[in-house]
Amino acid sequence: MAMSQALREFLLKKAKLESLFKWGVRWSLWPVHLVTSCCGVEVAHASGPGFDAERWGVLPFHTMRQSNVLLVEGTITRKMAKVLKQVYEQMPEPKYVIAMGACAVRGGLFWNSYHVVQVDTVVPVDVYISGCPPTPEAVIRAFMMVHNKIKGKPGPYVEPVKVDLTPFLPPPPKPPAKPAPQQTQQAPAA
Amino acid sequence: MAAKLPPKCPPQGDHPLLEKVKQTFGSAVLNHGVTPEGHLCVLVPPDKIRDVAAAVKNMGFDHVLSLSAVDYAAEGRFMVTYIFASYLTPELRSQLLHIRAEIPRDNPKIASIADIYPSADYEERECHEMFGIWFEGNPHMGKRFLLDPDCCVDEKTGKPLYPLRKDYKVPDWGLTG
Repeated sequence: MAMSQALREFLLKKAKLESLFKWGVRWSLWPVHLVTSCCGVEVAHASGPGFDAERWGVLPFHTMRQSNVLLVEGTITRKMAKVLKQVYEQMPEPKYVIAMGACAVRGGLFWNSYHVVQVDTVVPVDVYISGCPPTPEAVIRAFMMVHNKIKGKPGPYVEPVKVDLTPFLPPPPKPPAKPAPQQTQQAPAA
Repeated sequence: MAAKLPPKCPPQGDHPLLEKVKQTFGSAVLNHGVTPEGHLCVLVPPDKIRDVAAAVKNMGFDHVLSLSAVDYAAEGRFMVTYIFASYLTPELRSQLLHIRAEIPRDNPKIASIADIYPSADYEERECHEMFGIWFEGNPHMGKRFLLDPDCCVDEKTGKPLYPLRKDYKVPDWGLTG
């Protein structure tokens, strides 16, 4: 179907075609699971009816060739790092990587093991989720951070709110008073 | 003052299998004891491990539940621990039989029991990979089984390193900072 010349010029020049593209990508983030540990349970929880991450277009999918988010859920050993690299390179552009859980971020419990690598030494990571394991809210928040990154405003999805707790909490204990400085020592007898 | 040596066997005690084990093993029983969980533990010489394994199989234990080693680096020895269990003999289902053998640390070799107990094959390959113990008779010795081929290798000499030995140093991959 031939698009009319006027519409084509409108899309290319007046309306930003890139923003349309970003809008489409933003609401169809389909993660492919790389479940190597227990964090996969939390992703299942986030996709279930309780939290229902599909409200934000997050549809868990099973093939990496039709997905655009790589969700690394767990410890990556040196053998699994090759699989991770292969999975990442099979995914079509644009693609995003989320490192989920303490193991994927920095080794977690196995930080001094002979066989564990960090995810960001293998593939570029866009969003980290802390926790062992992270809550389903944190998983959804990570997808919101990918949203923000696609929009061009990378950063935390929620800012921490400062709360003044002094009316509710007892005042912190005062540090103990320092002892009075000692008198200068007398010069030892020669 | 010498450090207190870890015991080779748990303290001795009564056990229903003890008489039968003494009869069937004969002179192979160096020491015996009962673990806190109530299982019989027998220390045997390493050159008789195949005879002992055959005798254990005749007693009714039909598989090797676990095979591991303990590295007593300060004393220069490995303690290889076999744990036998049974599915098919009803009166032995509640029992585990621990067999231990001591081998020197500078020449860690012991006979393979993989042809008597096929379930010991994978355990021996893993134990060889983690501790460097050579199970003579197992055809998979000297090959990588679970570890990555590029990892745990001495960079200068190219020889394999054994990561569960006490003197193994974990390389700094940026995770320790």
